[in-house]
Amino acid sequence: MFEEASEVFDNMFKSSFPLTFIVFLPAVLILVSPLPAEAAHEFTVYRMQQYDLQGQPYGSRNAILNTEARTVEAEVLGRRCVLMRLVDFSYEKYQKALRQSAGAVVIILPKNVSTMPQDIVQQFMELEPEFVTTETIVPVYFALEDDELLSIYAQTQASSSSQGSSSAAEVLLHTATANGFQMVTSGAQSKAVSDWAITSLEGRLAGAGGEEQPTIVLVTHYDSYGVAPWLSYGADSNGSGVAILLELARVFSRLYSYKRTHAGYNLLFFVSGGGKFNYQGTKRWLEDNLDHTDSSLLQDNVAFVLCLDTLGSGDSLYLHVSKPPKEGSPQHALLKELESVSASQFPELKFSMVHKKINLAEETLAWEHERFGIRRLPAFTLSHLENHRGAVRKSIMDVRSVSSSSLDGAGQINTGPGVDLKKLRRNTKLIAEALARVIYNLTEKGAQGDLEIFTEQMQVQEEQLASVVDWLTAQPRATQLVDKDSSLVNTLEYYLGRYLKDVKKHYVKADKRDPEFVFYDQLKQTMNAYRVKPAIFDLLLAVCIAAYLGVLYLAIQHFGVLYGVLRRVSQPKSKQH
Amino acid sequence: MTLFHFGNCFALAYFPYFITYKCSGLSEYNAFWRCVQAGATYLFVQLCKMLFLATFFPTWEGGAGVYDFVGEFMKATVDMADLLGLHLVMSRNAGKGEYKIMVAAMGWATAELVMSRCIPLWVGARGIEFDWKYIQMSFDSNISLVHYIAMAAVVWMFTRYDLPKSFRLPVTVLLGLCVYKAFLMELFIHVFHLGSWTALLVKAVLTGAISLCSLFLFVTHFHSN
Repeated sequence: MFEEASEVFDNMFKSSFPLTFIVFLPAVLILVSPLPAEAAHEFTVYRMQQYDLQGQPYGSRNAILNTEARTVEAEVLGRRCVLMRLVDFSYEKYQKALRQSAGAVVIILPKNVSTMPQDIVQQFMELEPEFVTTETIVPVYFALEDDELLSIYAQTQASSSSQGSSSAAEVLLHTATANGFQMVTSGAQSKAVSDWAITSLEGRLAGAGGEEQPTIVLVTHYDSYGVAPWLSYGADSNGSGVAILLELARVFSRLYSYKRTHAGYNLLFFVSGGGKFNYQGTKRWLEDNLDHTDSSLLQDNVAFVLCLDTLGSGDSLYLHVSKPPKEGSPQHALLKELESVSASQFPELKFSMVHKKINLAEETLAWEHERFGIRRLPAFTLSHLENHRGAVRKSIMDVRSVSSSSLDGAGQINTGPGVDLKKLRRNTKLIAEALARVIYNLTEKGAQGDLEIFTEQMQVQEEQLASVVDWLTAQPRATQLVDKDSSLVNTLEYYLGRYLKDVKKHYVKADKRDPEFVFYDQLKQTMNAYRVKPAIFDLLLAVCIAAYLGVLYLAIQHFGVLYGVLRRVSQPKSKQH
Repeated sequence: MTLFHFGNCFALAYFPYFITYKCSGLSEYNAFWRCVQAGATYLFVQLCKMLFLATFFPTWEGGAGVYDFVGEFMKATVDMADLLGLHLVMSRNAGKGEYKIMVAAMGWATAELVMSRCIPLWVGARGIEFDWKYIQMSFDSNISLVHYIAMAAVVWMFTRYDLPKSFRLPVTVLLGLCVYKAFLMELFIHVFHLGSWTALLVKAVLTGAISLCSLFLFVTHFHSN
């Protein structure tokens, strides 16, 4: 047959060129065709943080994944992709996977965090900084669960837990029925992003009487941070701070637009970027203002710098200082006003001062005011967190969610992350009242502690705060994701421009030679889960097919038997001849 | 999966053809070139069918999940062209009836196998993803070999002048079944919501029944003396 075939081909090629073309072109095309991208399931995965800060590497250093999936129950995890669910996640299991040199870790998070038990969320939040500070070689991904992914997890778990048990027959049966999954990410290896610019914004309200008046600086950072940048929405930290700052800008711009209420203080608003990376935006802004220019509001006569950080929930407020304010200073005045306003108008609120010295030996500064403290500017931070290590400041669980306790209006303490609008409004009101009392010097003029300034038309508007928080938490605001042309920055600029004068953008780029921060890309990828079978299954199939073909061969060889039978059945008479 | 899996599927799809070719004695008749001609006729007929379908059957844009019975029936009717094509192949070959039938059917089925299964197998079975459908496709090609042999036999019988009157009706019915088999299968799958394995089984049984019937008719009349 083959000789004949070659003859045919020879004739074909000699006789007609087009025929050759028709035969060969598809053949070539088929041979070079890439493997299809048709997968059992395709889902988006978010990679863990990867960045260098002050030369120190953090996070997962790898992005490429192409291994078979297992769950932690399996005996052998080496070079496998370990799937975990948040429900039964523990740091020991994670460590076990890493110790066995797993190929990758994929952690499946629920779609809606608020459905999770509070203790699991809390525990995960505590662990998040651990993930990032211990540098991991393997890629670590986070995925949001859906039905397909859960079914993949269940099937993987079934095959993982049955390993290493049972008889040979069971194992054979198992290979034929069970599904394995090959996890493959589509993207390339992660690499450093060069020339990344962190954007900060400033704007001001000039006081009555020109530039010589003392200046009050209000500072907050807008970026968020979590174990995975694409999942960090940062509602409380620090969406709440930005919301309060914008609301303060709104109410004070109204006060400053009337001649009678135009106070003798300059107000300088600063929305800083890179707040989660050792306050890079603030650092550069200070350098620009103090070292590189001659005249700046920051250079002389700064009354105080008030930093707003994480103010969206809780029933206590802490004023963090690195040096207790001296009596008679504006700083001390604000402290007194905050105390008296909170005592007289918001009795449920516990207000206190926390003193913590700047520790220069630490890798990162604790609070934003320390950046100003280093430059000898009187500064403090207001927060509902008692400690700068509060897990909510660095968590992907910090999302905009209305917890049930705040919905039913009961006086329970909301321990979960998220922003409580009532409390956000109360904190805004408190800050606004205290600031106004300092600016207009109301206490010395004999005003009582329960005098409310921001009422009626000057109300602190809850809808305004809600819309800002909603807008901020509609997209992840991790520092690596907000570039200088992003809609977030532009909208912020527009919003500030509505109320403030001289709105300017400041950019920070890391030094080329000795970069203070380096970000890496490939933070969001598409992962494919391909259904696969083990190699033994192929062998088994080959044996089965060989047997089938053997039977077929025999059947065709003995086709005459069937033929004869049919003949006898159809012609019983002819048999008698 | 792997290249090995592709090999498996390939063997399952192609070896029955090879075995049939060898065992039916076609190789002794030097029938290879004739088979290739039959395959070329297959290509020509399919091209004509496609042109016809594209010209006269507009794409039906009904709602998803709704089965267009009339349209599908009309499309299946176009498959009559296959009968003509088979007849054409057989009328150009001189020889015994069995020989004609086998040459036409082998060429026809092999051309179909090469044209419609080769590329899906190469692309699909070699991919990372495992799916039973490539094994099913290979089994399906075995079934279609039997189907085309039966079909060629029925066409051959239908065109005989010495076919007795009493045979005319069953042969015509078989012819109709051959043509509308694919349509019937679609209908079954749609009405009974058959799974892919069950559908394959039903197809095998249906094809087996048709071919047994045609073999019976063939044996009864043309080998009676």
